[in-house]
Amino acid sequence: MQNLMGDPIRFSQLEVSYGGAPVLSGFHGAVRSGTLTALIGPNGSGKSTLLRTFAGLLPYKGSLTLGFGSEVREVSRTTRRELGRLVGVVPQQVRMAAPFTVYDAVALGRLPCRGAALLERAALPERTGSEEDRLILDAIARADLEHLLFRDVTRLSAGEAQRVLLATVLAQDPPVLLLDEPSSALDPHQTARVFSLLRQLADSGKTVVAAVHDVNLAVAYADVLLALTRPEPNGNALSDVPPERPIGNMIEKSIKELDEEVLERIYGVPFEPYVSRKGKKAWHVRES
Amino acid sequence: MQRASVLSDYKAARRGRRLRFAATLFCVLVSVALWRLAQGDWPIPPSRVFALLSPFLSEAERMTPEAIVVRSVRLPRLLAALGAGGLLSAAGVVLQGLLFNPLAEPYTLGIAAGAAFGGALGFAAHFPWVTPAAFAGALIALWSVQAIAWRSGGSRAHLVLAGIVVNAFLSAGVTFLKAIADDRLGAIVLWLMGSFSGASLGASLGVWGAAALSVLPAWAYGRQLDAVSLGEDRGSLLGVDERRLRMGLLCLVSLGTAATVGSFGIIGFVGLVVPHLLRPIIGPLHRPLLLFAFWTGGCLTALADGAAQSLGELPVGVVTALIGGPFFCWLLLRQGRGS
Repeated sequence: MQNLMGDPIRFSQLEVSYGGAPVLSGFHGAVRSGTLTALIGPNGSGKSTLLRTFAGLLPYKGSLTLGFGSEVREVSRTTRRELGRLVGVVPQQVRMAAPFTVYDAVALGRLPCRGAALLERAALPERTGSEEDRLILDAIARADLEHLLFRDVTRLSAGEAQRVLLATVLAQDPPVLLLDEPSSALDPHQTARVFSLLRQLADSGKTVVAAVHDVNLAVAYADVLLALTRPEPNGNALSDVPPERPIGNMIEKSIKELDEEVLERIYGVPFEPYVSRKGKKAWHVRES
Repeated sequence: MQRASVLSDYKAARRGRRLRFAATLFCVLVSVALWRLAQGDWPIPPSRVFALLSPFLSEAERMTPEAIVVRSVRLPRLLAALGAGGLLSAAGVVLQGLLFNPLAEPYTLGIAAGAAFGGALGFAAHFPWVTPAAFAGALIALWSVQAIAWRSGGSRAHLVLAGIVVNAFLSAGVTFLKAIADDRLGAIVLWLMGSFSGASLGASLGVWGAAALSVLPAWAYGRQLDAVSLGEDRGSLLGVDERRLRMGLLCLVSLGTAATVGSFGIIGFVGLVVPHLLRPIIGPLHRPLLLFAFWTGGCLTALADGAAQSLGELPVGVVTALIGGPFFCWLLLRQGRGS
């Protein structure tokens, strides 16, 4: 917990409510720069809510800051435009409402970095059209979409649309990337491709947080595990929480500390470890 | 390098397509303008029309009946139809983009019902200024819709629902006024249909002013509109303050629509059909779409006005609805086959 100021995402006493009922409450933690953090937890534990809060889309109580070097800012007091430059998000909902081409959709990733309305243009470093295009084409190539460059995004498969959103964030090129189940619609090959890309991004100094359901995917690529646990059946320390919506805890572990005991605490079911011939470990839910 | 050349080829093809469409549109615009200025109960040859439109026309010639017909009757009517049609179409583009609802049109936020109620009240109460009454009605409806939507969270769904509620309420009010209006019933019905006949130069220039005030800001924020139109929260994630953009642009566009409705009545279907007609040709990017929608909507409305006049001065709203309805169905069927 050293280097308190420099953490890209820091939160304390974080509380988020949906329609009056708290979903997350009293969370403390930080995401360190240059790491790939896997956000895991059972359905309804608040993974998407936490990511959406990080992205500044939800109102919250407590403190949530984005920090880069000595510059630390509270998310609720940061404009959408600045957030667009600092945080890139691949949402869970991948369907697109308008028939843009893949190129035009990904090009919109450059929007926060460009002069928005005509007046604001002067404030930003000038890039020529061809430099912008190079960034956009590069993002499209990294998401393996070159063969779909001028296809209508509303007619892509869910997996392709998900990669269009990833390419948009790559074109946006923010220091923090938040991904909500980025492989939910991807085949095993594309999943591996996307996660090694996320690994590369983290190694190059970006801060990446990805909500995942596949624990073994997290083990293979992530450095840090941020787990939202199942609410405990007979209530927990937070006694003022209404019983119909008890709130779980947050566990932060280095990926090496993960074992079946931790997994059972998170998901509430026993896990069985498997070891491959090469010595790699994986876990599956133990069959009863 | 190869990728870059593929991209520049694509962009060149797109530019070419847009230029060809713009050239076609320009020819249509010129022909429509000539038709509307030269033809009528009193045909005037085009060469004479040009001479009469010259700003250096002598004082004596300005007073000739010929000059008055062209300069004070036909020209304002043409300008009114072009400006109103353009404004309604561009407003349709903005609303469909912001609410990403393909059925959104300039009247979605209660403008038409508000204006109709204000105007009908004006007629029923023998109020001499129907146009300001209609404009005030439209503003009150717009304000109520925005207030309800803002209080309940300001999302798109809330806006559309608030619009539906206010529309239904005020439409019932119009029906009530018609029921008790007796002798003024005919005037109300005719006014509700919309017409450009007898448009004054002031009213037509006013519509152009309103169009500039609503279409130009929408064009300036065209890229933000693109981001927002991609889907829920997409604009926010790309650095757009969606709620402010939505409220700002919707207010401007609705004020423009209210000005049109107040002056010329309710001209339906233009704002719904033109954006759908253009998207397959121009694509979904809002900046070109807004420009082309403005001019296409203007030309089509001027044509519809011409048709309305040749059919014995029908209300132009009837013509746009009679042509626009089946045409919209045809567009829907064609798109259904395409996918």
